[in-house]
Amino acid sequence: MVTLTVNGRRVTADAEQTILDAARAAGIADIPTLCWYPKLPIVGNCRICLVSVEGQAKLVPACATKVADGMVVQTESHAAVENRKGVLRLLLERYPGDHLRNGGRAAPRNEFERYVVRYGVAPTPLGARDLALRHGDERPGDPMIRHDMSTCILCTRCVRACEDIQVVGVLDVAQRGEHAEIIVGADGDPDKAGCTWCGECVRVCPTGAIFEVMPQERFAPEQIRQPQRTVRSVCPYCGVGCQVDLHVADDRIMRVTSPDIELDTPNQGSTCVKGRFGYDFPQHHDRLTKPLIRRGWLKQGGHWVWRGPTGAERRGGPWQSIEAEGQTVKPAGPPRAVGKAVRDLPLLERLDMDIRDRVATPAAWYEPFREASWDEAMELTAQELLRIKRERGGDALACFSSAKCTNEENYVMMRMFRGALGTNNIDHCTRLCHSTSVAAMQRALNTSAASGSMREVEHAADVIFIAGANTTESHPVFGAAIKRAHERGATLIVADPRKTELAARADVHLQMQPGTDVALFNAMLNHVITSGLEAKDFVARRTHAFDKLRESVRAMTPEVAAKITGVPAERIREAAEIYARGPNTSTLWAMGLTQHANGTDLVTSLLNLMLACGMIGRWGAAMMPVRGQNNVQGASDVGAIPFVYTDYRSVKDPKVRAEYAKAWDVPAESLSLKEGLMVTEIVKEESGVRGMYIMGENPIISDPDIAHAEHWFRELEFLVVHDLFLTETARYADVVLPGSSFAEKSGTFVNTERRIQLAQRAVDPPGDARRDLDILIDLSNRLGLRTHFATAEAVMGEIVTVTPSWRGVTYPRLEGAGLQYPVPTPGHAGTAFLFDERFPTADGKGTFVPVEYAPPVELPDDQYPFVMNTGRQLYHWHTGTMTRRASGLDQREPTPVVEIHPDDAAQLGLEDGDLVRLTSRRNAMVSSCRISERVARGQVFVPFHFREAAANLLTNPVLDPYAKMAELKCCAVRLEPAHVAVAD
Amino acid sequence: MSVGAHPSQPAGTEEYQPVFTEQMLEQLNEILARYPTRQAALLPALWLVQRARGWISDRNMAEVAEVLGLTPAYVKGVVTFYTMYHQHPVGRHFVQVCTTSPCNICGAEAVVQALLEATGAKELGATSPDGKWTVIEVECLGACGFATPVLVDDDFIESVTPDRVPELVRKYK
Ligand code: SF4
Ligand code: SF4
Ligand code: FES
Ligand code: FES
Repeated sequence: MVTLTVNGRRVTADAEQTILDAARAAGIADIPTLCWYPKLPIVGNCRICLVSVEGQAKLVPACATKVADGMVVQTESHAAVENRKGVLRLLLERYPGDHLRNGGRAAPRNEFERYVVRYGVAPTPLGARDLALRHGDERPGDPMIRHDMSTCILCTRCVRACEDIQVVGVLDVAQRGEHAEIIVGADGDPDKAGCTWCGECVRVCPTGAIFEVMPQERFAPEQIRQPQRTVRSVCPYCGVGCQVDLHVADDRIMRVTSPDIELDTPNQGSTCVKGRFGYDFPQHHDRLTKPLIRRGWLKQGGHWVWRGPTGAERRGGPWQSIEAEGQTVKPAGPPRAVGKAVRDLPLLERLDMDIRDRVATPAAWYEPFREASWDEAMELTAQELLRIKRERGGDALACFSSAKCTNEENYVMMRMFRGALGTNNIDHCTRLCHSTSVAAMQRALNTSAASGSMREVEHAADVIFIAGANTTESHPVFGAAIKRAHERGATLIVADPRKTELAARADVHLQMQPGTDVALFNAMLNHVITSGLEAKDFVARRTHAFDKLRESVRAMTPEVAAKITGVPAERIREAAEIYARGPNTSTLWAMGLTQHANGTDLVTSLLNLMLACGMIGRWGAAMMPVRGQNNVQGASDVGAIPFVYTDYRSVKDPKVRAEYAKAWDVPAESLSLKEGLMVTEIVKEESGVRGMYIMGENPIISDPDIAHAEHWFRELEFLVVHDLFLTETARYADVVLPGSSFAEKSGTFVNTERRIQLAQRAVDPPGDARRDLDILIDLSNRLGLRTHFATAEAVMGEIVTVTPSWRGVTYPRLEGAGLQYPVPTPGHAGTAFLFDERFPTADGKGTFVPVEYAPPVELPDDQYPFVMNTGRQLYHWHTGTMTRRASGLDQREPTPVVEIHPDDAAQLGLEDGDLVRLTSRRNAMVSSCRISERVARGQVFVPFHFREAAANLLTNPVLDPYAKMAELKCCAVRLEPAHVAVAD
Repeated sequence: MSVGAHPSQPAGTEEYQPVFTEQMLEQLNEILARYPTRQAALLPALWLVQRARGWISDRNMAEVAEVLGLTPAYVKGVVTFYTMYHQHPVGRHFVQVCTTSPCNICGAEAVVQALLEATGAKELGATSPDGKWTVIEVECLGACGFATPVLVDDDFIESVTPDRVPELVRKYK
């Protein structure tokens, strides 16, 4: 520690700090900065931060000069101020600042102009200058990011943000002297330069030279500068759980920014393209604003009766089933409007061409419905749910809750189904996500969530092992953190059949055949054990059954595994050694492991490797199942799964039941002791389920073998769908309830690192749409369960009383970065990483569960020679309900594409963009193709976001025996060139 | 600067022919062996491209970036920083004439005029119709005592005067 004097005040600082850090930390001096920005490398090139230091002849840059003991600093000395004026005057020579010569001074428009006003300089009139302004738009036709380089002051923040935070490097400075300018890639095309439209450059630009297109198109500049209000929320997409600020104008969301560098927020200021640009779907004209009731339901004598057609016609309509859509006409995409080629395309036309009228809900879908009042809709719903319960028992009802909804909503939902309807048939999309991870982690360690934090992976891991996770597309902000970790020197090992971005930059890429992971991990274990690299002390002190494990992997030598996986034995050995030597290895995995019919085994074998090498329970050695939805962790935590109440407490335990019965004020017997059915079990004839409530899920796109699922939903006696749009599933509903989007409600979400975060309401739901929580509370009461919560906060008040590991959670404490549970007591600070001492098992030890390699259920053969793999794209989200209605995102990826290896494409006679028919043993669909070396030969990658080319028509519905996960990742298909009509 | 066609560099949308194949790749690897990092070999790698193709197109820059593990924007930043790399096609012979003050006093302007005449390039930076010549002005070439120095490709020719120009031009086919 050193002591220095700044503007006459004594300040103590760390010797490594700069004058700027020390002064800001002490809150004394407001030293102006332009090129300096939090977290960016220091370049010290703008010279606006120069300050006087006693005894030094020249001014020194505060941003780049370390403090020293006894230093005496004047930040606003005459010399410093004169220098700043000079710097600003020079910059103003190239700045279109005529407004700063007059009234505009009262309202500076950006960071730079604030300094101009603060230091009292004024620009030369535009006509009287020697230098011309820099030219304008460097990204013509771009749907999301606009460059107006006439206001660029060449601080190079954008260059460094792209290069050092996002580790992409699209931008740089070209030319020199007065010609210097910011360029996009080598030829001006952001696409080719690898841009991911994350908007980090927008965030850091001090003048707005780089800015968002959509707010500029829709709102006035004054509105953008002075939003009606700015509200902290949580991104509605992936499990990273980025905190975002929603700017509101005209009671609409105007733009999204990320809270500046609160180092503890999961995103540390960044977002990905979805978070920053995918916010306009709530305002899409497809939003449901009134409850809908299927025509045919009539109220007679105080009672609702069905008077419509029966049989196959009952849930029919003048539209095509997903099955038919998959094989006939395809909508043509709007041009992918980026890069120089579309320079002439007028902007307005472009925005009109957005998806609003392309994949929006077709008018015909509304025809079977009539608009209704809330009272009618709720009355009918309550009547029918109660009737089915009365006639067939509670277990004839089931509910899909939602990983897109808040903890509070999920809690009230499960409370309603358990408390009022007496069934545990409540599940959500975790079943198709990390249910196998949970099963495996429960088996081995009795836990259900990640052990560590994203920060520790970024800063403390020496080795990062990623299995079956395309992090840079599916969890982009975490993906960037991993790239930063790699840049700082961490070793990256990626096990993935595809050459994803991370696989391409990995130190070791294990490119195995889909579904052969067990062989791979067991072979790594085999090598670890034969070379004596296992963590002997850890294994002895903290685990059981190592001998059994050793036995089980004895035969799986790297040579044997090489034959199965296609990965050379040498590479398996290399990976095993790097993994085991650590010293701190973090283990990440996602859908590539979990979405298999033996997903539980796949994850188990990875856990075995992790435990054998002792890579858990230290800072830097994290176990991270990377969660998909923004609240899939939370929805599970609060009990929206069939076997447990909150905190994973079993529904079979009468003692637990008694506790909840008391909390909900219902007789204990009304709560079922029988474990409920899971998503994939519910959608089967033998489930006996006849009535369903679906909140915010779209199983007709997301379930495996959806032609079958579609049929099942049509047969239901009663179906309520509660959503923002008339989804593919909602078409079959009896009642459709218009809910609220993330921006229209308050509540909490849990991210992939167990962080409970608070999202605040920014706008009201449109029309008669209601807040989800209000809908659920109303319905609970109508079903006879007393439910009186005035606010989401009140719901949390009840949750914490029945959830021991959340006991210390209150809304005020969640403000800021949130809390990582366990938070067992009121003052508890939360838990960044777990298991340093013991696992939450009875004796505190983990267990090895030996697993054997089994080939994927469906292997390619002569008839179906390709292995199909499914997954996410950067610009789209799951069933596309939201992202295909977000104009910027949809423009980037407007039509379904499947990825095919160039050699396979050549053999099939396919060119980039051609239509191709995919046929599996179950069904067929047509999509256009993208030729890409990211997929290996003999494989095809199919994103699952598109209803008109739904991947899940083809997938195999066989289930994992433990978690009932379907084999979504791997099935055999045939490819052939296709010819169907293309509509505009 | 006029943008003419260069024989080895198709301007349109034809399929791109990579620079670094077989022999060129070998040359690059020799260069790489002499430098501590791949990034450090950027300038010589760009020279290789310029020698092979006559000039460096955006697409070439992207290729260099890929080969050296850099970003295309970074490579372009470097290419545009220096005057020695051509971003447009130039004639087979590239002539650089010093016109900085000392040479200028000694008549460099006239030498430039004579060169533009004799080569048929007519304008500074333009390429002669036969595709042979491009003439540009540059700053001090470090031979102020021997005005006017002229660089023809890699040949350094001192004390050029307008009347020596036609002969000089004839020497280069
Ligand atoms: S565009 Fe903005 S961030 Fe980038 S150099 Fe210019 S002023 Fe700085
Ligand atoms: S990384 Fe995930 S949470 Fe963050 S902005 Fe992107 S989609 Fe949203
Ligand atoms: S902020 Fe210190 S030199 Fe730019
Ligand atoms: S001024 Fe011409 S060479 Fe120096």
